[in-house]
Amino acid sequence: MELRLKNLVKDFTGTRAVDTGELTILDGKLTGLLGPSGCGKSTLLYLISGLQKPTSGRIYFGDRDVTDLPPEKREIGLVFQNYALYPHMTVAQNIAFPLVNRKVKKAEIRERTAKMASLVQIEELLNRKPNQLSGGQQQRVAIARALVKRPEILLLDEPLSNLDARLRLEMREEIRRIQTETGVTTVFVTHDQEEAMSITDEIILMKKGVVQQQCGPQQMYLDPVNQFVASFLGSPPIDYFRFPLRDGRLWITEGYSLPMDVRHEGGILTGIRPEAWGRGDALQVQIQTVEHRGKDTLITFGLAGTRARALLDITDTVRPGETIGVTLRPQFLYLFDAESGVRIRQEEEQ
Amino acid sequence: MSRKKIGRPENPLGNTRFSGRAYLYLLPAFLVLAVFVLYPIVMTLRMGFYESYVYLTDVGSGFGLSSFRYVLRDPAFQLAIRNTLIIVLVGVPITIALALGAALFINSLTRGRGVFQTIYFIPYVTSTIAIGLAFRWLFHSDYGYVNYVLSFFGVAPQKWLTDPNLTVVSVTIFTIWNGLAFKIVLFLAGLQKIDPQYYQAARIDGTPPRRVFFRITMPLLSSTFWMVVIVSVIHAFKTYNEVYSMYDGKSAGPGNSAITIVYYIYDMFFNRSQVHYASAAAIIFLLIVLALTALQKWISKRFVHYV
Amino acid sequence: MQRRIGQSIKLILLILGAFLMMFPFIWMLATSLKTLPEATAIPPIMFPETPQFGNYLEALQVAPFGLYLRNSILVAGIATLLTLALTVLAAYAFTIYEFRGKTVMFFLCLATMMIPSELLIIQNFITISKLHWVNTFQGIIIPTLASGFYIYMMREYFMQIPSVLYKAAKVDGCGDFRYLMRIMLPMNKNAIATIGILTFISQWNSFIWPLMVAKDDSHRVMAIGLLHFRDAVSSQVNLQMAGATIVILPMLIFYLVFRKQIIEGVSRGGIKG
Repeated sequence: MELRLKNLVKDFTGTRAVDTGELTILDGKLTGLLGPSGCGKSTLLYLISGLQKPTSGRIYFGDRDVTDLPPEKREIGLVFQNYALYPHMTVAQNIAFPLVNRKVKKAEIRERTAKMASLVQIEELLNRKPNQLSGGQQQRVAIARALVKRPEILLLDEPLSNLDARLRLEMREEIRRIQTETGVTTVFVTHDQEEAMSITDEIILMKKGVVQQQCGPQQMYLDPVNQFVASFLGSPPIDYFRFPLRDGRLWITEGYSLPMDVRHEGGILTGIRPEAWGRGDALQVQIQTVEHRGKDTLITFGLAGTRARALLDITDTVRPGETIGVTLRPQFLYLFDAESGVRIRQEEEQ
Repeated sequence: MSRKKIGRPENPLGNTRFSGRAYLYLLPAFLVLAVFVLYPIVMTLRMGFYESYVYLTDVGSGFGLSSFRYVLRDPAFQLAIRNTLIIVLVGVPITIALALGAALFINSLTRGRGVFQTIYFIPYVTSTIAIGLAFRWLFHSDYGYVNYVLSFFGVAPQKWLTDPNLTVVSVTIFTIWNGLAFKIVLFLAGLQKIDPQYYQAARIDGTPPRRVFFRITMPLLSSTFWMVVIVSVIHAFKTYNEVYSMYDGKSAGPGNSAITIVYYIYDMFFNRSQVHYASAAAIIFLLIVLALTALQKWISKRFVHYV
Repeated sequence: MQRRIGQSIKLILLILGAFLMMFPFIWMLATSLKTLPEATAIPPIMFPETPQFGNYLEALQVAPFGLYLRNSILVAGIATLLTLALTVLAAYAFTIYEFRGKTVMFFLCLATMMIPSELLIIQNFITISKLHWVNTFQGIIIPTLASGFYIYMMREYFMQIPSVLYKAAKVDGCGDFRYLMRIMLPMNKNAIATIGILTFISQWNSFIWPLMVAKDDSHRVMAIGLLHFRDAVSSQVNLQMAGATIVILPMLIFYLVFRKQIIEGVSRGGIKG
């Protein structure tokens, strides 16, 4: 079911929490709602679920206008951050609860509950109470409960934030698997860019209630539309420099420049991702710090009056104080307007 | 959604829904509250200001303070105040001291806590009327056990139930016995909330038991202690059951000598049908209870530092 | 060593205290089995030579204690169930809804906590006289049903249930009343048991109000029946004690069975004196 939002606005006490403009969430895909905390992503999820009412704007599930429908009539499944399992009910009763409320026949409830339990792989836990389950198992129950009524849209609110690091990796693969198996349109709220990058088909990045960019994760990483998007994605994050632009070239240092076909009035900020750097002989830099990160090595060095970060191969043994030669891969280098943060593109790109 | 006022705080369920259905849920409870709590307060206030009042016809005459004047000058009411104050000022401290002692002892036991707690709590659940009947005979001047036991200590037999100077003493003893149970349970609950780490620390420091009591137990128990004090005082002001069950409901002992404030209200209304005097006494009683409740709030703010 | 002595003194005092607490009951039971001369002997005799179980048969002939027991169970049981129903519904409304007058109504609930119920009997008796409820069960039960304190206490428990469960239930298609029955009540079993126990005990032992309302045996609860029985057998102390024992016994059994829950409930709801 395709989900369309038309100028959806939600105001809280004088502040605008959400303002979507036109937004379409793809049918049958896993979409990540990403942004820093307080950016309105959870509010947007609650607006879609019907638990909160928008100040203005419309919500369409396919061709159906659901704006004025209460949550139970919207055909949605919702998984909460803390799972919100009913503590006094067994796993089976929790999963069956939405069906019991709809007065589905007993035999059918049993059958659908069993099917859900096997989908999320908790068949052997059906008679336990939630407090006898691990966080990951509770998460699975919550997903089963959300899916048992065969919702048109599955909403997940920060589903992994309460799990430890190892379980988080496991559960995000599980969510991806379950979404693929069922093909249900899924919206997944997270503040963790890595989580969003790893499992979603498409990311909607929000800031202060407004959508910044919507596209596939890889494209968002490689082609950010503004400074906020570039900064939000990437670990370690992107560095910014004020390099002068002269004669169609961007001058990294006095002796090192890259061709840049840009026409722009006003200040320019250059963003360089740490992985843009590699060993080479374009520039000699003196290493300040070295941090071994397991799969690679992060070094810092002074550049243009500020500090630059670069990722080197793990086999590259370097020491602080050492001077090495580096070079830049220009595709990881972005120009932004220093005032607005809007991306400045090269002429041939446009 | 347009009716919703922006800026109104969301309720804890995040369910800022103005719903008329709320009144449906509230209706039964508030109907009873309105008819049998709020209405009587208003009516009692009104009746207390009449000089005379016939309740069957709801006709009152002479609006003013004369009923209050009568009640305050009535020797029976003065006696009721005196007796109630004896129960409050003598009975309550004794009850609290005994209850605290029993609770401390019970709490320090390693075994048999449950047995003692069970026994000491029995008076709370048993009917005061039935026990009062037993006390009546235990206090009997001829065949009662109280005088029999006292005779071993060389005390001459006392007329506990018929000597006007002693009736209030007997009633007070009964209230102490009857009130211990509840207070012990509250103190035990308070004691069990104290983290045993404090006692372990005190033991390691070699603190003597007396100092442990005054420097650790009492300060940490202070909120429970003041709560028990106030609850006991308010409860003692309402003493009535014990009097009624030890005598026969027609009078509070010879010459009404064991009368209490609530008994006075009951007596005025039921035995003498003087509704306006009963109401005036009830209002005075209400003022006392309200003052005590205010005192409770003040004390719990002022003196209770540990929770 | 000193510790041991201290412990022993404590134990002896506690046993002595327990004996004093139990003595009226022991004496009551013993006297109920005495002959009249034994019961009024000077100096008093503690135990009868041969237990006179006939005293109980005689007591049961003088007064219909079976009927009183039925009435007590009826009054305390129905009053407890209705109090719980009213309390839960009102507390639930205060928990999940916003409505006009909420603050005022909640304040009223709190304010009634300070009103001694003894103050209300005058007008309430007038009211039920006008309703022709004197000497009826509804007259005994209905005026006692609403307690601002219990509503307040219940709401405190309801507020501790995370609001996210309410949202989850909404999404699961669970209506407000259903949410109360299926989620709120099962999750607050303990609180409901506490309020139920406190109400039941206080209803069972209350007597000033039932005394005023009940005018004949068919509406008298046990405590009131005992007062009439006392007057009927006048100075026959052995019979009086048999009656008193009959009255105390059911609650004592109830207490011994549920003592853990009762003591816990009383200490939890303790602020109400």
